Amino acid sequence: MNKIFGLALGILAAIGGFVDIGDLVFNTAAGATFGYQLMWVIPIGVVGIIVYSEMCGRVAAVSGKAVFDAVRERVGFKAGLGALVSSEVVNLMTLAAELGGVAIALQLLCGLPYRWLIVLAVIGFAVVIWITSFNWLERIFGYGGLCMLVFAVAAVKLAPDWTKVGNGFIPHISQNNPWLYLYFVVGLLGAAMTPYEVYFYSSGGVEEEWKPSDLGLNRANAIVGYALGGTLSIALMIVGGVFFLAHGINPEHLGTIALGAQQPLGEIGLLLAIVGILFAVGGASIDTVFSGAYNLAQFCGWEWGRYRHPSGAPRFTITWLVLLVLGMGIVLTGVDPVVLTEYAVIFSVVALPLTYVPILLVANDRSYMGQYRNGRLANILGALYLLIIMVVALTAVPLMIITNAGQN
Amino acid sequence: MVSRRIAPFVAVFVLAGCNGGTVDRHALTNDSATLDSIACEGAVVANGVARGRTYVFFTREQAEELMIQAANLADALSKRPTATGLEARVRAKAKHAAQLAKLLRQLHDHPGDRATGATLERALHRAGHCP
Repeated sequence: MNKIFGLALGILAAIGGFVDIGDLVFNTAAGATFGYQLMWVIPIGVVGIIVYSEMCGRVAAVSGKAVFDAVRERVGFKAGLGALVSSEVVNLMTLAAELGGVAIALQLLCGLPYRWLIVLAVIGFAVVIWITSFNWLERIFGYGGLCMLVFAVAAVKLAPDWTKVGNGFIPHISQNNPWLYLYFVVGLLGAAMTPYEVYFYSSGGVEEEWKPSDLGLNRANAIVGYALGGTLSIALMIVGGVFFLAHGINPEHLGTIALGAQQPLGEIGLLLAIVGILFAVGGASIDTVFSGAYNLAQFCGWEWGRYRHPSGAPRFTITWLVLLVLGMGIVLTGVDPVVLTEYAVIFSVVALPLTYVPILLVANDRSYMGQYRNGRLANILGALYLLIIMVVALTAVPLMIITNAGQN
Repeated sequence: MVSRRIAPFVAVFVLAGCNGGTVDRHALTNDSATLDSIACEGAVVANGVARGRTYVFFTREQAEELMIQAANLADALSKRPTATGLEARVRAKAKHAAQLAKLLRQLHDHPGDRATGATLERALHRAGHCP
């Protein structure tokens, strides 16, 4: 029974972490702009996040240490500080975007003013995080986010040309606006492999007190959870390609994405889509706020974790509360959460190597990992993805400038 | 030293986000595409109203978002300087955007009226040259 509940960590990571506002925006926009041509990027991103999540989950289970413990110990103070600052900035941008997304979803459900809903959402999150255990946070947002499966149903009901969908999985470069195409490649990879996912995943493993005997569970979590997330990403891109592209719509609002479920499934599809978005984006808000607090606490050597009473980890508790307030402040300025998401994803791409290099180093370290260090397959995949990450990190900002952040 | 370090990031934001200034042919094409997308989305929302496949809060909020976007474009296109020979087209596009904002205002004000939804769907579909 415990093993089944343990799988919830993967599901939360998949729905709340993998499918977050960044995935919603980039996958749907990619489909609406290029049809199914960018399908091939999704499995690449999914396998990448599986490889590195499995690695950092294994490190957590074997050594009891999360990513930023490893960063501090393995890359030194200065480089570690650089990684910390960049990750905190990107985390905060992502958190603000997710909070804005939550407020938009609530507004679409109840019609109350947007700014009030931002404040209500932040108060709600603070209360829920304060009174709810880590396990229940997983279940609430993980299973609520399963409403997102309505997009998979919608994708099938929209009856795409499956041959064309299949052809989309063959990597190629579009002749039609190649710079924009490459911008979407970078954005889709960035959205799939965004750093906070592994921070949350590895710290979650420590929260759940994983041991070497849980390595099978870790592997199942990473594979099942992220594969489910990847399936939803594929569904979102199909909806973009069948519905939005065919109707000449460029989805620039979060509510627009829900229209993709309304068309084939009616009002119930629309409601499920918005509730699913609410839980997915809400779960990602929790992931990001915790990731920010985990990183700082681990880097500074503070007590941390939701398994402790708030008074047992006071600086960790203050950090996540401050992050929530800062995120609220950013989104209350009126910045568009969708635009903020695009910037957050692109800047997270730049920070990717700082996250993934230490994980690869530690997962290979015999003194940390003993017999559980990386095998040949994990090392080959890890190195390959590191190369991809480097290329993507170097090209992200130039592509954003050339394409005017995807507007051209 | 610090300002030197943050300068590239500031430049990125400015370069990537800069959307003001003179309206040239490229900007006009982009804005026209955005207006068509707004109209087509409005038509889909109105279709949901006409067929009773949506609910009031969603229609109202989504129509308002689109209306604000169209109104902002109308305002910008009516005021921004234009490249030589483009002024008439840009100002005409501004009027078109304002007309679109009016249609979306009606959708926002009558989110549960199926007959109005059907009328607005046709009007928005035409306005956006939707496929």
